[in-house]
Amino acid sequence: MQTKIKILLALIVMSITASSCDDYLDLRPQDGIIREEFWKTKEDVRAAVIGIYSSMLNSPPGVGDLPLSKYLFMYGELRGDMVSPGTNVTEDERDIMNTNILASNSLTSWAAFYRTINYCNTVIDLAPDVINEDPTLTQEQLNKYLSEALAVRGYLYFTLARTFRDVPLKLNASLSDQDNFQLPKNTQAEIFEQVIKDLKQAEEYGVETYGDQASNNGRITKDAINAILTDVYLWTGNYQEALTAADKVVNSGKYSLIQASNNTWFNRVFAVGNSTESIFEFQYTVQNKGPFYTMFLQRPEFIASATVLEDVFGIDYGDAENKDIRGERASLVPGTNQIYKYVGLNNDVRKELESADTHWFVYRYADVLLMKAEALAELGQGEEAVAIIDEIRASRNAIEFTAKTVDVTNKFDIIDYILEERAREFAYEGKRWYDVLRNARKNNYERLQILIDMAMVNAPPDQQQSIVNKLKDPNSHYLPINTYELYSNKALVQNPFYK
Amino acid sequence: MKRVITLPRLWRLTLLLVVLFAFQNCAQDKLTETTDETLNITEYLKENDDYSMFLEILNVTNYASFMNTYGTYTLFVPNNEAVKAYLQNVGASSVKDVPLADLQNMAKLHILDQKINTTDFTDGKIATPSLYGQFLITGATNKNGTSSITVNKDANIVQPNVELGNGIIHVIDHVLRVADKTLAQSIEENPSLSLFTEALKATGWYEKLNHPLVGEEATNLENYQSVLAQTNAVFEEAGFKTLDDLKARYSHLKDPMNPADSLNLFVSYRVMTRLQYMADMAVTPALETKAPLEIISSKLSKDTLLLNEEVFNGVLEKGIVVDRPNSDVTASNGVLHLVKKNFAIKKRLPAPVYFDLCDQPEFRKLTSIFRTTTGGRQDLGKTDFTDITWDGTGVITYYKDPARGGTVGYGWNGDVVEIYRFRDGTVQNIAFKTPVIIKGKYKVWVSYRTNASKTGLVKMFFNGKELSRQFNVQEYGNVDSKVDERVLESQGYKRYTQPFTNRFNCRLLGVIDVETTGRHTISFQSQASFSNQTWLDVVEFRPIDMDQIYPKLNAGTSGFAPIP
Repeated sequence: MQTKIKILLALIVMSITASSCDDYLDLRPQDGIIREEFWKTKEDVRAAVIGIYSSMLNSPPGVGDLPLSKYLFMYGELRGDMVSPGTNVTEDERDIMNTNILASNSLTSWAAFYRTINYCNTVIDLAPDVINEDPTLTQEQLNKYLSEALAVRGYLYFTLARTFRDVPLKLNASLSDQDNFQLPKNTQAEIFEQVIKDLKQAEEYGVETYGDQASNNGRITKDAINAILTDVYLWTGNYQEALTAADKVVNSGKYSLIQASNNTWFNRVFAVGNSTESIFEFQYTVQNKGPFYTMFLQRPEFIASATVLEDVFGIDYGDAENKDIRGERASLVPGTNQIYKYVGLNNDVRKELESADTHWFVYRYADVLLMKAEALAELGQGEEAVAIIDEIRASRNAIEFTAKTVDVTNKFDIIDYILEERAREFAYEGKRWYDVLRNARKNNYERLQILIDMAMVNAPPDQQQSIVNKLKDPNSHYLPINTYELYSNKALVQNPFYK
Repeated sequence: MKRVITLPRLWRLTLLLVVLFAFQNCAQDKLTETTDETLNITEYLKENDDYSMFLEILNVTNYASFMNTYGTYTLFVPNNEAVKAYLQNVGASSVKDVPLADLQNMAKLHILDQKINTTDFTDGKIATPSLYGQFLITGATNKNGTSSITVNKDANIVQPNVELGNGIIHVIDHVLRVADKTLAQSIEENPSLSLFTEALKATGWYEKLNHPLVGEEATNLENYQSVLAQTNAVFEEAGFKTLDDLKARYSHLKDPMNPADSLNLFVSYRVMTRLQYMADMAVTPALETKAPLEIISSKLSKDTLLLNEEVFNGVLEKGIVVDRPNSDVTASNGVLHLVKKNFAIKKRLPAPVYFDLCDQPEFRKLTSIFRTTTGGRQDLGKTDFTDITWDGTGVITYYKDPARGGTVGYGWNGDVVEIYRFRDGTVQNIAFKTPVIIKGKYKVWVSYRTNASKTGLVKMFFNGKELSRQFNVQEYGNVDSKVDERVLESQGYKRYTQPFTNRFNCRLLGVIDVETTGRHTISFQSQASFSNQTWLDVVEFRPIDMDQIYPKLNAGTSGFAPIP
C-alpha cells in the first residue's frame, strides 16, 4: 500500500514537473499573423496587395501621422496660390504657406509615404515565392499583383521626389531590425529613372480591367500606370514618351468627359466618384472616411484664397447663370470661401458627416488630357494642344472671361493657358504647386518667374520680398528632411537651403 | 559547528570587516543633478571654435556672463571670418585695439531681449529693439542662385535657430554695424539727392532730421522718422532743376521756413512719423506725415508699393511708385526711401460719398444674388470680410429683393445689410470701413428699412467718436404730402429715395469733421437687445454746404433720381 501510494505520488509529481506548458514562452503575437505563417496562398498575396491600398486611406491604428491624402493635399496646395489659412490652421501649416519652413516642421515627415512603400516592397519581395507554396497561383495572376505594388511604389517615390527632390531609394522590404536603415539620398534624377523602370515593368504585367468600376478606379490598371507615366515623363522632359503614354489612355476609349449640367456633374464626378472621368481614386467609404470633412468644414484648416473665384474661375457680374461648372459650389463656396469639393453632395447640399465619403482623386481623365496638351505644346503641336483645352472648357461651361486667344506657335502662351485651365479643373486636388513647379523648372529654371508670381498672390505683404528672394533659390522649392529623420539616419544630408 | 560559532572575538570582528569591505565599491555614483543638459549661450560659444572671436568681444565688453544667465535672448553671432573682416574694416589688428565703447555698442546691437525665431522674420524690422536701441531689419536675398535670410541687409544667416538653454542664436557672416549717420547725413552724402538736401536746408528740416537718437530715446518708435526722398532726376522730370524752381512753384508765402509755406509743406509731407520700413508701409494703409493732418495712403500691387493711389469720385488716380531696391536705408534716427515720381499734397474739395453698406467685395462675389433682379439672401461670418468687423459670434446677411418689391426692394439698389439680433454676443459694434472721404465737414445721413417690433435705438460712431443723434429702427418714414421736404430736413429727416415709401427712413445723425483724407471707420451700436432684424441701407456723407436732399437716390435700382 505504502509503495503504491509512493509510486502514485511520484507519478503525479513527475507528470506535473516533466510536462511543460510552453505557451507563455511563445513570442508569437496573439493578434496578428507572422511572416512564416503568411505568404502561403494566393489569398495571402491578394490580402497584402489590398493592404497597400488601405494603408493609403488612413494610418494604421496606433500611428499618429496624417492620412496620405492629407499630405498629398498639403504638399500640392499649401505653397500654391489657391489656399488660405482657415480658422483652425496650425502653426506648421501656416509656416509652409508663408515659405517659412524649418526642418523641425512636423509636416515634412515622410513616414506615411515610406510605410506604404515598405508594404509594396514586401509584396514585391515575398509574393514570388508563394507560387511554390500554392499551385493555384498562376504566374499571370502573380504578375498582376506585382504590377499593382510596383505602380503604387512608383507613384509614391515620384511624389517624394517632386516634394523633397532627393530621397533615399529603398527597393527591398524592411523585414527585421537587423536591416540597414542608414541609407543615403538618391538624386531626383535617379528616382525618376527608377520610377520609370518600375512603371514600365508594371505596365507589362498590368491589368486592363478588374471587372467592376470601383476596382477599376480604386486599384491600379494599365491606364492608371500610363497616367502616372505621362506625369513622370513631363517632369523628366521626355515629351514624346509622355504623349505616347497619354495616348494609350485616351485611345483606350474607356473614358469620357461628362457634359456639364447643374448638380449631376458635380455629384457624379466628385460626391459619388468612380465615374467615367476617373482613373485612380482613393476609395474612402462611409466606414473608412477621409480627413476632408473635418479639415474643410467642421474645423476648417484651409479655405480658398480670396482671389480664386474671381481670378481663377471668373465671375460674370452681369449674368449669374453664366458660370464655370467647376467654380461656384463645386470647388468653393462664394463669400465664405469654404473648400467645397470634398464636402458637397451636389451644387446645393452638403454631405452629412455620416456620409462624407468623398474620394481623393489621384488621376482623372481630364488630367491625362491636359498633360497630353502640355506634351503637345512642348513638341510644337500647339494647335492640337489648344483643341484639347477647348474641348475641356466646352464640357465645363467655362466662361468667356477666362478664355484666351493664344498664338499656337508660342509655347509659353499655350503652357500658361494649360496651367490656368489646370488650376480650374484640379482646384484643391493637390496639383497646383507641382504643376507650376514642373513648368518653372523646365530648361534649367527658364520660367522661375511663374512660380514667383504664384507665390506673390498669397504672400503676406510684409513678408513678400523675403518670400520672393527665398524662392529664387531652387533648393527652396523642395521641403527639408525632417529633423527626426536626420537624427535617426546619419547617412542623410540636409538640403543646403535648410542648413 | 561549535568551533565556528565560538570563534574568538578578534576573528569574528576581522571576518565582519572583511565582509564589509569586500562588498564595498569605490566608484562614485553618477547622479544627474540637472534636468536639462542644453548649454547656455556663452557655454555654447565656448564649445565652438568658430565663434571664439565674438566670444572674446563678449568677454572684453563684459556681456559673456550676462549671456549665460537664464532668460530668453536672441543673439546674432558673427563667425570668426566676420569678426576678422570687421577688424580689418575698422583698422584694428585685434579685438583689444577697438575702442571699448564701440565694441560695447556693437555687441549690444547683436543681442535682443526676446527669443525670435527666423519664422517670425518679415521684410522689415524685428519688433523687439536690440539692446543698443536700434532696430534690426530682416529679409532674404538671392546671390548666384542661393538664397539666404539676411539681417540688416548685408549679414547672411549661415546657421539659423540654434536653440539653447537661455534663448536662441543665429550665426551670421557679417558683423552688424551700428547705423551712425542721421537721416540728414544719409541724404546729404548721396550726390543724386542734392536738390532734395537743398530743399531740406531751405525749409529747416535738415536740422530736424539731423538729431541722432541714443539710449532710451532709441527704443521708442515714436522718436523715429521716415523720409521719402527723390533724386535730382525725378525732380528734373517734373521740371525742377534748381531750388529756385521749387521755390517759384511751391513757396507761396515766400518764406520756406514758415511751416505754413507750401514748400515747407512739400518737404514735411515727405517726412513720415515713426519708423516705417517698406514692410510696415505695405501693411499700413494710411501713413501719418509731418504735414499737419495730411496722410499718405499706401498699397501693394503685386510687388510694387504704391503711394496715394486712390479712387476719387470714381476716377482712379495713379499712385507713386517707391524705388524698392534703393529704399529701406537705415539711419540712426529713421529710415530713408526713394520715390520714382514727384508728388505733393493735393488740394481737394469735400465731395459727397454715398456709401451703400452692401457694396463689399465679399457680397459682390455672390453673383447669383448680388443686385440681380430676383435677389436672395446669404449669411457671411466675421472672418469672411476685409472691411467689416463686429463683436459677437453672429453672422450678417446680404439681402436683396426685386426692385421696388418684397421687404427691402425700395432701398437703394434694392439691397440691405441685415443684422438679425443686433445685440451683445451676437452682432454688436459693427464697424464698416468707408470709401475715401476727402477732409472737410460733412453731414451724415443713415437710411434703413423700418422694423417696428423688437428693435430700438442705434448709436453711430465715426472713427470711434459718437455722433450727436441716434436713430430708431422702429420709426417709419414720413410720406405725408402736406409736410414739406425742407421742413422735414430741418427736423433731421428726409425722403432719401425716389419713389419713397414709408417703410424706409433716413435720419441725420450729426456733423462730422473729417480731419484726414482717406478711408475711415463708422460703427453702429444697438442700445437694446434686439431680437428681430435690423436692415441698414445707405450712409450718406454730404458736405455741409451741399444740398442735403438732392440728388435723391433711386429706389430699387442704382444711381440718382432726376432732380425735379
